[in-house]
This record gives sequence, C-alpha cells and structure tokens, in this order.
Amino acid sequence: MNRITALLALLLPLACAHADDSVGTLLKAADRYRSGADALQVETQVLTLGRDGAVDKERRYTVFTQSQRRSLVLMRSAAEAGQKVLMLGDDFWLLLPGSQRPVRITPSQKLLGDASTGDIATMNWADDYTGTVAAPAPCPAPDDSRSCRQLSLQATRKGVSYARLELWVGQPRGEPVAAALYLQSDKLAKHARFVLDKAGTQVDEMLLHDALGGQRQTRVRYLSRTPRAVPEAWLNPMFLARNPALE
Amino acid sequence: MMRAWCTGLCLLLSLPAAVADSRAELTLRLDGRSAASRGPLAQAQALLPGVAAATPSGRVLQAELRHTQHLGGGVALQGNLLLAHEGLQGQPAADRSRVNEAHLAWDLGPWQLAAGRKVLGWDVGYGFRPNDVVQQETRRTQLGQTPEGRPLLQLEHFDADTTWALVLVHPERWQRSAERQRGAREAALAARGYTRLGGLDLHGFARHGRHTGASVGAALSWVAGDELELHASARAVQHHDGWALAAGDPLAARNPWQQATRRGGSQWLLGGQWTGGPSLSLLLEAWHDGSALSDTDWRQWQDRNQVLAAVAADPARRGAAAGNLAWQATPFDADNLRRDNVYARLAWQPTDWTLAIDTLFSPADRGRIVSLSLQWKGPQLRLDGSLRLYGGPADAVFAQLPLRRSLVLAASIAF
Repeated sequence: MNRITALLALLLPLACAHADDSVGTLLKAADRYRSGADALQVETQVLTLGRDGAVDKERRYTVFTQSQRRSLVLMRSAAEAGQKVLMLGDDFWLLLPGSQRPVRITPSQKLLGDASTGDIATMNWADDYTGTVAAPAPCPAPDDSRSCRQLSLQATRKGVSYARLELWVGQPRGEPVAAALYLQSDKLAKHARFVLDKAGTQVDEMLLHDALGGQRQTRVRYLSRTPRAVPEAWLNPMFLARNPALE
Repeated sequence: MMRAWCTGLCLLLSLPAAVADSRAELTLRLDGRSAASRGPLAQAQALLPGVAAATPSGRVLQAELRHTQHLGGGVALQGNLLLAHEGLQGQPAADRSRVNEAHLAWDLGPWQLAAGRKVLGWDVGYGFRPNDVVQQETRRTQLGQTPEGRPLLQLEHFDADTTWALVLVHPERWQRSAERQRGAREAALAARGYTRLGGLDLHGFARHGRHTGASVGAALSWVAGDELELHASARAVQHHDGWALAAGDPLAARNPWQQATRRGGSQWLLGGQWTGGPSLSLLLEAWHDGSALSDTDWRQWQDRNQVLAAVAADPARRGAAAGNLAWQATPFDADNLRRDNVYARLAWQPTDWTLAIDTLFSPADRGRIVSLSLQWKGPQLRLDGSLRLYGGPADAVFAQLPLRRSLVLAASIAF
C-alpha cells in the first residue's frame, strides 16, 4: 500500500505538469488564430446589433498589440475620434482629445461598453490564463457537429477583463470555437463565438452575446492584421496626452 | 485678428488632405438661468434695477474645428478654432469666437518641441487641479468645452516610463508690469517630471512666475484595486494673485476689490474613484485652496454687505450703495470661493446613456452646488442636459451667487 501511495505521489506532479503543458500548448495554438505575431496593428470594426439583428451602432478602432501585454487602442469613429486607451500589463489609461492629461482607469472601467476595450485589445490568452482541459466532446451549439476540447481557465493576473473563461477549441487544429466569459464576481458576462476566415487560418470575427441582461449582440470584425512594432514613446501615457499623430 | 486666424486656417485646410487630419463638432446650446433672490447682486438689482443684472438666459451656436497639418520632417501645425455666436435675452448678439490652439510641433523622436498657442494640463484630479501650473481651466462646468490655450514654448523628452517637460508660458509678457499679467496671464517658466512605477503615476512640478515667484508641487495617481483609483496633489507657493479689499469708507468711489499679489499658501487635493461594476462610478474629492479668500475675508465681505444694505436705507445714498453692492460680486470670479471644499459625483452609465449627480459642498458655511446631468451619445450625435442648483444657509457664499438655478440643454454633432 505504501509503495502505491509513494508511486502516486511521484506520478501526480508529473500528471499535473503534463496537464499544464497541454493547456499552455492549446492556448498558444488558439492565440495563433487571433494574433499571429508579437507586435501587430489590427484594424477592427465593432457592430452592435439590435434585438432584430439590424446594426444599431458601428465603431472603428486601430489596435496596436505589442509584446509584454502592452496595447494601444485608437478610437476612429466620429463620436469617439481622438480617444485612446493605453494598456500596459495591469495598468490602464484613458486619453480624451480635448484634454491634455491621461486618466488612470481601473480594470472595472475597462469593461465599459458592448465590446469592452479589453475585448478589442486582448489578442492573447496563453500569457494570462491557466487551467485544465477536458476530454474531447461535441462543441457548443451551433457547432455541435464538431469535436472540441473544453478548457476551464483561471486568470493568472488581476488586470485581465475576465477572471474565468470556459474556452472550446476545435479538434484537431486547436482553433478557438466558443467561449464563456466570467467576471471577478463569477457572473457570466458574455458568450463568445469565433468565426474563421475562408482559409481557416485566422479568426475573422468574434460574436459576443451579452449574458448580463441586455441580451445585446456585438460583432467584432478584424479587418486587417499587419505586423508592426510601435516606438516606445507611443506607450508612454504622457506622450499620448499630447495628441500626436499616430500613423 | 480673428479674420487673420480664419484665413490662416482656410489656407491650412486647402493643403493636400493626405497629410492632414480634420475634425469638427457643431453644438447648439440653450441656457436657462434664474437669478438668485439673495446675495449682494440681488440686493443691488432690487435697489437700482439694471445696475447689476445676473446673466440672462440665452443660446449659443458654435463650431469647434480641429486640424492637424503634417508638413514633413516631423513638423506639424495643429489648430483648434472655436466659432461661436451667443444671443442673450434683451442683449445684442455677440461673437465669442476664439483660437483655442495654433501651434507648431516638431517631432524629434524622444524629443518634442512645440511653439504657439496650446492647451496644457498636467495635474491629476477632477474638481480642482492645483498643479495645472501652466493653465488653470474652469472646472466642474455643466457642459464640457475645450479651454483656450496659452502662448508657450515647450520642450519635452519621453521614454517608455518617464517624461521631462520645460515650458515658457506667456513669454511675450515677461517684461510687463505685474498689473498687466495677473493670474493666468502671468509669464512663467514651468517644469514637470513624470515617472511610472507599476500602478502608480508620480509627478513633480516646479514653477517660477514673473511676479509670484517660486512654487513646487507633487501629484500621484494610484490604482489601488480592481475597482478603486486614488489620487492626490499638493503645491506650495511663495506668492499668489488673489482678490484684496481696499480699506476705507464702505461707500467707495471705485471698485474696492482689486487683484493683488498675496503672500504664500498651499493647495492640496485628495480624491478617489470607485467603479462598481461596469456601469456605476463614485468620485469623492476634498481639497484646500490657500489662494482663495480666507474665512476672515469672507466675514469682512459679509459685514460689508450688511453695512451697505443699511446705508441703502438712506434714499440719498441708495444709488451709491447699489453700485458698491454690485462690486461685492467681484470676488466670485475665482477658481474656488471657499478654501475648503468637498466634492462628490455619482454616475451611472448603461450603454449610450450617462446619468450623473454631483455636489460641491463648503464645510465652512454649509453652502452647496448640486448638479444633475443626463447625456446620450450616439454614433455622431450627442445630447446633454444639466440642471444646477445653488443653495445653503442664507449666509453661505454659494447661496449668494448671482444665479439660483441654471439649466443647460445642448445637441452636438461630430464630423
């Protein structure tokens, strides 16, 4: 009996380490469908849909995602033109065009809106989440004819938009299929569904369904992705407060 | 002068669009104002109608035009022009157009140079910003408006986590007398350093005003948790400009309230913002402004109001008393009326709507200003409504301001 216990004690950490590796590998594979590079410029269109499915609101964003969890979001629509959100790890600033000062915002404020800044700017799960993976099973509807791996993920840092994710990735390639996004309070905030491009190489659209009562749907479309590393000064909130041209 | 600016802006707009960025916002604003029945201005008006009428209701139609013209080699021209036409009840229409910004910016990588008229704000906080040492914009307005920039020369250096800035503001006034460069018109040399330590923003400030001398300050902003942001700012000044009452007969022949250079003082602010989930936020701030009139000054002001009201009982001196009472409104023209203030703002922001209620409270005399505002923001159109009420005990300064109630309705469309 003691031998069996000792054997289990030896094997259990190995099994856990193997599970961690699997989750990490699956997340990195899923991330490749969303970002594909360390430093990117992503042109994004966000369409908010009414109950009848008609487009209620359209917004445009330019998102610079950089290494070390750094992102800069430029609002392009007329109503928000000149506004920027800078995200450096767990630190966030809002910059308004009429003001010469960056405003520190909390992780909760980052969640404002149908598609929050975090939804738009976050292109990477592997660095922010860890968890477990379940055995292959049918994907959630309407993709239930396919086989998925379900990942139950917990955030590894405080600044992420969602404290917990249930993520379904397709078999065998590991592309993201669907996700359930949970707040710090463990309330289900949104359902997400990912639509790949025709070649099946990258995520073209993310469909968000509000689960907090609004029942609104938001379509986040990635119009283009271009590898681009921005100057370090662009990631300084005081530099952005000068309203410089960022092209 | 305005024609010259407009011609210049039109020339800029005619340059190739590929190297330019233009935006515009058109706003129609309606103001409904109710005059107060208390306070020196109301008393003056009752004694001699027309001597000191409060600002009447009116409307403003304005267009704010922003333009950036890239000239190559990292040089850009940036302009912000406000074209505004104001009509007040019973008064001829007036042009309120102005140039908010017109400056040349030179991008040299980590070094940045700017020269011309520019809006510049450095401090943290909302209700009061003691370390906005280049430009003090009007705070807690009912409808946001881009402030008018200051003429300046600016040199800045940026890297990933730090910033250094040196600014010479109003250089053209450096040789002028103190009387010709009071308050925001003073020539000054100002410097700022900034660094970021994770969740903490740290700022240091120094300023040398042409006649107010040296001042130093520091500010911080700290995200203390997922839902809580804290900020603080403090400044010590050698001298400051402020209102002073000339000694003498209560019935003065000229306005006894004049701007003067006063000794020392400190200013500080403590504040925090709590965000309760994605839709609710609460801002609380408390501040002290040593450049505002002291409790003793306000007691003297109150005493003088009473003396003038008593003098007005004499029909022969009624007109002079009314004029002097009207002059008693002069010290209302200040960033802060009382030295110690508490401010709270509760906002609820579900999707396109923002509903907010805020109050500014003066513990010294329990005066208060309460505002209720509602905003709807669409893809291009924005609608604003705001109601502000001034009140408190009869001897509170806020209760003696010229207005009792102010309603603002505005529609803005962005292009």
